[in-house]
Amino acid sequence: MKTGILLTLAGAVLLAASGCKTSVNSVENVQKSGQRQMVSDQRAVTDTGLAKKVSIVGVNSAMTPGGFLKVQIELLNNTRSPQRFSYHFEWFDANGMQITTLAPVEVPDQIQGGEDKFISSLAPTADCRDFRVKFIAN
Amino acid sequence: MKNKIVLPVLAAAVSLIGAGCATNAHYVQTGGNQNVVTIGQINIQDYMQAADTMTGELLASGALNRVANPPAVLAISRIVNNTGQQIDMDLLTKKIRVALLQSGKAVTTTTMGLGGTAEDPMAQGLQQENDFKSDVKSTRTPDFTLSGKIIQLAVKAGNTSQSTFSFQLSLTDPKSGLAVWEGEKEITKQGTRSSVGF
Repeated sequence: MKTGILLTLAGAVLLAASGCKTSVNSVENVQKSGQRQMVSDQRAVTDTGLAKKVSIVGVNSAMTPGGFLKVQIELLNNTRSPQRFSYHFEWFDANGMQITTLAPVEVPDQIQGGEDKFISSLAPTADCRDFRVKFIAN
Repeated sequence: MKNKIVLPVLAAAVSLIGAGCATNAHYVQTGGNQNVVTIGQINIQDYMQAADTMTGELLASGALNRVANPPAVLAISRIVNNTGQQIDMDLLTKKIRVALLQSGKAVTTTTMGLGGTAEDPMAQGLQQENDFKSDVKSTRTPDFTLSGKIIQLAVKAGNTSQSTFSFQLSLTDPKSGLAVWEGEKEITKQGTRSSVGF
């Protein structure tokens, strides 16, 4: 009787665990025609849990034809389960002053287990020179 | 004896947790991750996200740069509401307008509106008066019009509800009648009940 209950419980736990696990397979061209202009970054980690689960692989930037700075960040989920987080970009002018937009937009996002994905944002004005991105676990 | 110690400790712990979760009225950052999320409605963070994404795409496209006299003049046309809720379109369009103005790439006319209705009737009257008095017409016709649609797609599976809100915008050159830029942002929310936070 006890064994039956234990087996049922184990099955339920296994089912729940497998339901949370995701993974992503991907393929891409080896010889890239586009070259990413990587940015050397400085990190401040206060949520080590999130930093361990979702790591920042690299940051690159480019200027659009209209003169706006565009920033792209490559993220990697080091776990086997999907991770939910939100992020928002802050922009600074040539004097290091933060450029105030309407309200900072916090973008909710999700990354699948083992997935490598990009997030990006465009500077609100052509005066933006620097940026900072904040990540919060949801 | 055990019960005499364990039960009061448990009761205290439960009441403490309860107090921690109780929420008295307080301020939260608009659009932040402490905002209420409802499944069947567009929340403020959804408008902000849609406006921010589409403004970024519009600026990155360079469509606003292709005018003879920059900055481009924009007129707001019809944005159709195909959702189940009443929407004040300014929640979306105002954010886009402000962001475009701050970018220096576009200004929006407030003296021209759909069906001849001006957003600012006083400015329209003064402009017409100035045009009448002087030989040179001061009114600048819009380089582009902005139109669009908001669509809601709701589905349910068991207790789980899901709503997708599709924000669609088109930037049209009135001289050619062609849409020179089009953007779409979809936001999907799923759950069994409303919640606080993302």
